[in-house]
Amino acid sequence: MQHSGRDNGIARSLWPFGFALAAAAFLVGLVLSWWLVAIAGGVCVLIGAGWIADSIRSKHPHLLEETVEHQVEAPKAAAPVRAAAGPAMSRSRFLEAGTLGLGAVMGGALTVPAVGFMVAPAFQSQGKHDANVGPLDNFTGVPEGTFMVTTFLLRKDQGDVSRRTVYVRYNGELQSQPSFTIISNRCAHLGCPVQPSGPIDDAKKVELTTDNGPVSLTPSQPAGFGCPCHGGAYDAEGNRTAGPPVRGLDRFEYSIIDGELHIGKAYSVGTVAGTGADARIKKFDLAAPGQHVDDWEWWLYPVQPPH
Amino acid sequence: MATRKSPRQQQVEAALLYPVDWLDERTGIRAGLQYFLFRNVPRDTNWMQTLGAATLTAFLVQAVTGVILAMYYKPDPNSAYESIKHITNDVTLGWLVRGMHRWGASCFIILMFLHMGRVFLFGAYKYPRELTWIIGVMLLALGMIEGFTGYLLPWDETAYWATVVGINIQANGPFVGPFIGSILKGGAEIGPETLARFYSLHMLAIPGGLMALIGIHLFLVVRLGITSPPWSPVAAGRERDGEEAPTADRVGLVEPTPRGSASQGVEK
Amino acid sequence: MSSLEKNRADHKRYKEDVKREGKPFFPYALFHDSFMQVVVVAVIIGLATIWKWTAEDVGGGTNPGLLGSLYEEKADPGSTSFVPRPDWYYYFLFYLLRIFKWPDSVILGTVGIPTILLMLLLALPFIDRRRERHPLRRPVAMIAGILVIVAMGTLTWKGATAKEAVASESASAVPTWAAKQGFANDPVAMAGATLFAQSGCLTCHVYTGSGGANLGAPELTAEGSKGLGIDWQIKHLECPSCVTPGSPMPAFKALGADNLKKLATFLEASKGAK
Repeated sequence: MQHSGRDNGIARSLWPFGFALAAAAFLVGLVLSWWLVAIAGGVCVLIGAGWIADSIRSKHPHLLEETVEHQVEAPKAAAPVRAAAGPAMSRSRFLEAGTLGLGAVMGGALTVPAVGFMVAPAFQSQGKHDANVGPLDNFTGVPEGTFMVTTFLLRKDQGDVSRRTVYVRYNGELQSQPSFTIISNRCAHLGCPVQPSGPIDDAKKVELTTDNGPVSLTPSQPAGFGCPCHGGAYDAEGNRTAGPPVRGLDRFEYSIIDGELHIGKAYSVGTVAGTGADARIKKFDLAAPGQHVDDWEWWLYPVQPPH
Repeated sequence: MATRKSPRQQQVEAALLYPVDWLDERTGIRAGLQYFLFRNVPRDTNWMQTLGAATLTAFLVQAVTGVILAMYYKPDPNSAYESIKHITNDVTLGWLVRGMHRWGASCFIILMFLHMGRVFLFGAYKYPRELTWIIGVMLLALGMIEGFTGYLLPWDETAYWATVVGINIQANGPFVGPFIGSILKGGAEIGPETLARFYSLHMLAIPGGLMALIGIHLFLVVRLGITSPPWSPVAAGRERDGEEAPTADRVGLVEPTPRGSASQGVEK
Repeated sequence: MSSLEKNRADHKRYKEDVKREGKPFFPYALFHDSFMQVVVVAVIIGLATIWKWTAEDVGGGTNPGLLGSLYEEKADPGSTSFVPRPDWYYYFLFYLLRIFKWPDSVILGTVGIPTILLMLLLALPFIDRRRERHPLRRPVAMIAGILVIVAMGTLTWKGATAKEAVASESASAVPTWAAKQGFANDPVAMAGATLFAQSGCLTCHVYTGSGGANLGAPELTAEGSKGLGIDWQIKHLECPSCVTPGSPMPAFKALGADNLKKLATFLEASKGAK
């Protein structure tokens, strides 16, 4: 808090240095940790506020002097008093700054943990987890083009809340490995549950239990998929054919362990070229429905929260 | 009026009034209430202008029934649906409280729109009531958000999927949208955290905001006064030809009256 | 006099008028308010009661009464047959999202238009700054207001009655089609009709008034009167763009020969609704 002296009309002040340091810490925090970002951001705001208040005070002394400093007789008298060396701050000015400062500290102490508590989950990765949906035979021993409507638990520890449905199609073998197409049933428009456009053979429904909990498999012969909300339609590769969806249906990675199919991470796709085992797919980080991944509008969603 | 009271009556009266006097001495509530109740409003207000009070009533119904519902409701995906069933089927008059909360929500929204339509029709958003209008719009928006957050709580099919779509709509906002979506969900997927979050928002955060804004709204209404219907021949603040002198029939109709007693002919 | 000074004079006159010739809030205005408050509470209790008693009489609780069922099925995040709908006061937004059916315009329906509307609503007192309050002397405001009400009403109504071309909704229309087209006695055509309803054909094609016209797909109500023949229909279903070059219709070969035969029979039996 340096008020004394002016050169070229600019008051000497330590505020810019503090502000620059805090801003630097903020930028470093972007690389290192979110906590540093939060703290440095808070300090930045505090110093910025102090700086602004200080410069207003030094440029328009009458604004505050008249109302606050009752003991100082004339507004003009304030400047010489404060310019003097030694204890430059009057009692009321100290209390004023102190009250503001304490208020800011209390507000910060209350807000930062609370907001962090609320916001943090959005920045935490959910970790990797595979879901075992049972023996390969259930998926391979069906007529060509059949999609198994596969319902399973995405997170066994969360139970029914994480129940998901995917459409699994066996594509034959690719380089002597079984190839599958696993399509999510969440519409790429706004996340409604898409339905297979074709007969579903409920009579052939199979229920089984794996180490990942209950799994149900129902064969269907869809020509594509349709959304019950806003009229989106997809072909059998999950590419949009009509309606508002901004990209193809999301897909899941998979692995085969001990003859059982494991469903892995979900990813987003723009448009799939080719079909079945020959499909060429460009993977994108999983984006929420309605967000473009390969159009010009992708720049509206440059950063995705972790999944 | 002039009949003299016996000392006994005076004693009783003083004893009865003592708490009121005690309170008034410390809060000044008597003057405040007198101002609130006996302030004048334009004499030609009509039924359309009761929509604000009606909206407030619907909100109060929501507040009271909501508090009671919270005593039985369990904000957890594994028991939310069952607790709603329990409220509807087992708890004494639970169906009524839940039904009132459910249908009260629709009434609240309808009444907000009607009230807004009335204000628009009357041009009552113009000087000096702009801020009252703005706060009203914020109340409408908060009311709609309250409806959205409450919709998930029964944890039935409609609740779940409408929330999926609603959150994805928020997540569609440019740049920060995906993060807003994650914050609303409390993670990458809709789960137990989402329900708890929506419950907290629906129960505490948004009603708190609503109450604060309703308070400011009412304060502004009382401070600025309510408008006359603009087509009324006796509208308060109407423009007169030349320098105003009350015409004969208006003088006969309304006399300057002390507060609390109205002259005849005000109510038609 | 500037408009601000006029406004201030108006309000001063208003205050004076109210003071001189107004009526006390209590009991004159408050009586009307109280009456309305009782009406509101009575309506809410009435709705709750009708809802409960008409729905429960049928038993079980999930049976819809006059005002809908007491509760629906428990949420199933893995559902493949549920048709989501929002609460009624979001129908306008719901239908808005259906109107913007091009991928590039999705953001207009989700955040664009709602945000603009909210901003306009907030800014209304600063857009309309004239002193005039009489509705008949505010033509622009009244026309805008009526247009907004009509638009919101239409969107809400369209949202409330919107039907989807998905299996779970369309299949229920098959008996109606059979009656209109007169193929109720042909089991193959009936099976074909069910397939037609299930397979998402109505996403693009219109059939006896249901379905959405997308991608320039022709109406199929009278497809059978074109005399194309069952073999042509099967070939076309197997590979539309082979028969009609440039057709955007996806191939339905995955359904299998048996199912395609049924579909073709159904299409040929569709001679136009009577």
